[in-house]
Amino acid sequence: MHFRRFILGAIASAPMLTVTVCAAQALSPNTAKSFISQSGDKLVGIVNSNASESQKATELRGLVNQIVAVDQVGDYVLGRYKNVATPGQQQQFQTLFHQLLSYNITYQIKAYQGVTFQVNSATPQGDDVLVDTTVTAPDKAPADVGWVVEESAGQPKIIDVIVAGTSLRITTRNDYAGVITDNGGQVSALLNAMQSQISKISAAQ
Amino acid sequence: MKTKLKHRLRHGMAMTIPALALATALAGCATAPPKSDTADYQAYQQLNDPLEPTNRVFFKVNNTLDRYVMKPVAEGYVHITTQGIRNHVGDFTSNIGEPARMLNFMAEGHPTDAGTSLVRFLVNSTVGIGGIFDPASSLGYPETDTDFGLTLASWDVPPGPYLYLPAFGPSGVRDVWTYPFDWFATPMEAAPASAALSDFGYSETGIHLVNTRAGLLGTIDQINATALDPYATFRSLYRQSRASQLQQIQQRDTRTWPDWYHQPAK
Repeated sequence: MHFRRFILGAIASAPMLTVTVCAAQALSPNTAKSFISQSGDKLVGIVNSNASESQKATELRGLVNQIVAVDQVGDYVLGRYKNVATPGQQQQFQTLFHQLLSYNITYQIKAYQGVTFQVNSATPQGDDVLVDTTVTAPDKAPADVGWVVEESAGQPKIIDVIVAGTSLRITTRNDYAGVITDNGGQVSALLNAMQSQISKISAAQ
Repeated sequence: MKTKLKHRLRHGMAMTIPALALATALAGCATAPPKSDTADYQAYQQLNDPLEPTNRVFFKVNNTLDRYVMKPVAEGYVHITTQGIRNHVGDFTSNIGEPARMLNFMAEGHPTDAGTSLVRFLVNSTVGIGGIFDPASSLGYPETDTDFGLTLASWDVPPGPYLYLPAFGPSGVRDVWTYPFDWFATPMEAAPASAALSDFGYSETGIHLVNTRAGLLGTIDQINATALDPYATFRSLYRQSRASQLQQIQQRDTRTWPDWYHQPAK
């Protein structure tokens, strides 16, 4: 039962995938809670609007870039392979990561039509704040989703999404590391896989 | 008695032995990087998936079985049922697992949680009409999950290498023992053996599998569509989930006295 819940929640929250590894200032729980509340309202507003799918996708990409520290997420996801990658590969990785995140978000818009979002509580965790929410979509069990928020450059940003104890940034890092290790530690294999995935998804849309 | 034990062994171990035997027979091991390559060697150790080549074979086999059998069946099931019915089916199969949870909580040293499982089983089996409804949650006894793998973990048994089992999916050398233990602890196995009970047990297992798969229809599709390496993604999700479940059990500081008993002064 738990496995099903966490996996449903993980998917429900995938549009907000994010991370960070940089130093940050302490953030007040109320600020984080308010930030997540506003961000959630915007997200739900876009997903449930009557706009076309492509328009929704464009709006969602803009929103994610506003509220998620995508570059920092990318750095975390690349992990120790950042030291192996050349500067060119690092740059290419970040470009592909932004694109892939956008495509993955777009892929899930239809599935979450009618989604509702409720903010429950906020708990400090070191310099970060974990904001607990409940995400409900039609014909799906409600999912408890935790958003880890950190202050970055004076602005609150989402740095991770936690569902039933599973971190989306860690999951994504392990996913990408799986590709690299299966290809002899070559970062280029990851870049090819990302490019291939983007081509596949864009062809299907 | 002897016949009954044989019956239990035959049915219970039938769940696990073929998978383990097949895994052993076909075992292919991942090649460890040299220790001189510190970062890679540490990553390999942390991954703890020495049977990865074999696991990936079973992952593909399961995906094929899923594509042609489980997924179409689950889609048909969703087509003819409502979310409410599926919730009640989930409650029903969950209720059958309560005795096993009670035993596990006792073994983990959580008597209050064991009591909760017992109350849930008694209330839901009677007032809840065989577990179809879950009045126990409304009475303040919410479902709390555990299993034999987590019990072993609470005894400091390490997780061991990752296993991807045919039909069962993600597991590990420690967690795999959940299947025979929890099977033996179902009410059907505790009752005197009979053909009708066996048929009921098989039917319950079947409906549980279909109901669970139905709940994951969209999500598994999405993981397969968005993950670059779905095998590594499922492995990561499984391990994080198990670590989280264990942490919750270890951090749980439930009292061992009822409401009417005054808390001892500290």
